[in-house]
Amino acid sequence: MTQRYLPGLLLMLLVFLAAAPAWAHKVNIFAYVEKQTVHTESYFSAGRPVQKGRILVFDSNREQLLEGQTDAEGRFSFPLPKVDDLTIVIEAGMGHKNSFRLKKSDLHD
Amino acid sequence: MLKATLKTAATLFALMALAAPAAAHFGAIIPDQAILSQDDNLSLNVEVKFLHPMEMHYMEMEKPRAFGVFHDGEKTDLLESLVAAKGKSADQEEEFTFWKIAYPIKRPGDYTFFVEPSPYWEPAEDLFIIHYTKVCVHALGLEEGWDEPLGLETEIVPLTRPYGLWTGNLFSGRVLLKGRPVPFAEVEVEYLNESPGNPAVVIPPADPFITQVIKADADGVFHYAMPRAGWWGFSALSEADWTLEHEGEAKPVEIGAVFWVQTRDMR
Repeated sequence: MTQRYLPGLLLMLLVFLAAAPAWAHKVNIFAYVEKQTVHTESYFSAGRPVQKGRILVFDSNREQLLEGQTDAEGRFSFPLPKVDDLTIVIEAGMGHKNSFRLKKSDLHD
Repeated sequence: MLKATLKTAATLFALMALAAPAAAHFGAIIPDQAILSQDDNLSLNVEVKFLHPMEMHYMEMEKPRAFGVFHDGEKTDLLESLVAAKGKSADQEEEFTFWKIAYPIKRPGDYTFFVEPSPYWEPAEDLFIIHYTKVCVHALGLEEGWDEPLGLETEIVPLTRPYGLWTGNLFSGRVLLKGRPVPFAEVEVEYLNESPGNPAVVIPPADPFITQVIKADADGVFHYAMPRAGWWGFSALSEADWTLEHEGEAKPVEIGAVFWVQTRDMR
């Protein structure tokens, strides 16, 4: 009995895991560099800003470089910490999480 | 090899035989990507054409009067960045002008490209044709802007989010003329047979299959379910309340509101 349902359950679990990026309350982060400052904007897909979201910044070795919090407009800026491929993570609670990769080649501007 | 050639020849012949009488003209803006995420190439290649989408026949397109993109509530003029190119269908002998642009996407949000072509003189119909055409490209997860009117002379404003559509989905839109809904507007629908990924050219079994015709309701709202993966063009036609001169004579102007969407198979 249990065995019969197991493949179905596993499939559902897989679908859940795969589906995360397309949920209605999907959180997104976008980042760009201007005058040695990294600007980030975090938003839900329908446009609402992510307020008081936790921002984590990692280098290419997955070492955390800094941490911060988004403001009422979903923004958080910080001085460019390192010339490297950066991964910027937004955590908005309730499992809402996403990241933006800022490539080394995109850092000058 | 020979068999394949024969098949192509037969296809072309069938298309030619069908083509002439029922061809609907469509303005078209077709981007090479409709949805961009951060792992995609963020440089968009956009083609602007005047054609018969089902028959794949190109028509000569002069440099448009206006071309641009609407993003984050603002229009950006891109007319001078358009580059002329030449193209034709397999059964056309002559090449025709269309227009291209490479456009780098820099920020999240929806990008609605729009064109106001130069008036096209159609001797067969004794009128000028101007198709105000739009397409919406979505970038980086911010679904904002697709439902806003651009203030064109006539335009289709989507009621269905115009990207991320499956084959078989219903597309709904509202037809506006000078910003006001057009009751019972006639909307022509065609499949773009040269859609990338189209596994085989669709050969309409009879003329009415080439152009689907639907009418909007009293509020100018229309619906259509798209039966195949690829690009679909929606064209709502009105007669302008102004005329243009051809060889010293005032001629009527057909103004079209055209919108393009892409569908993908669910699999």
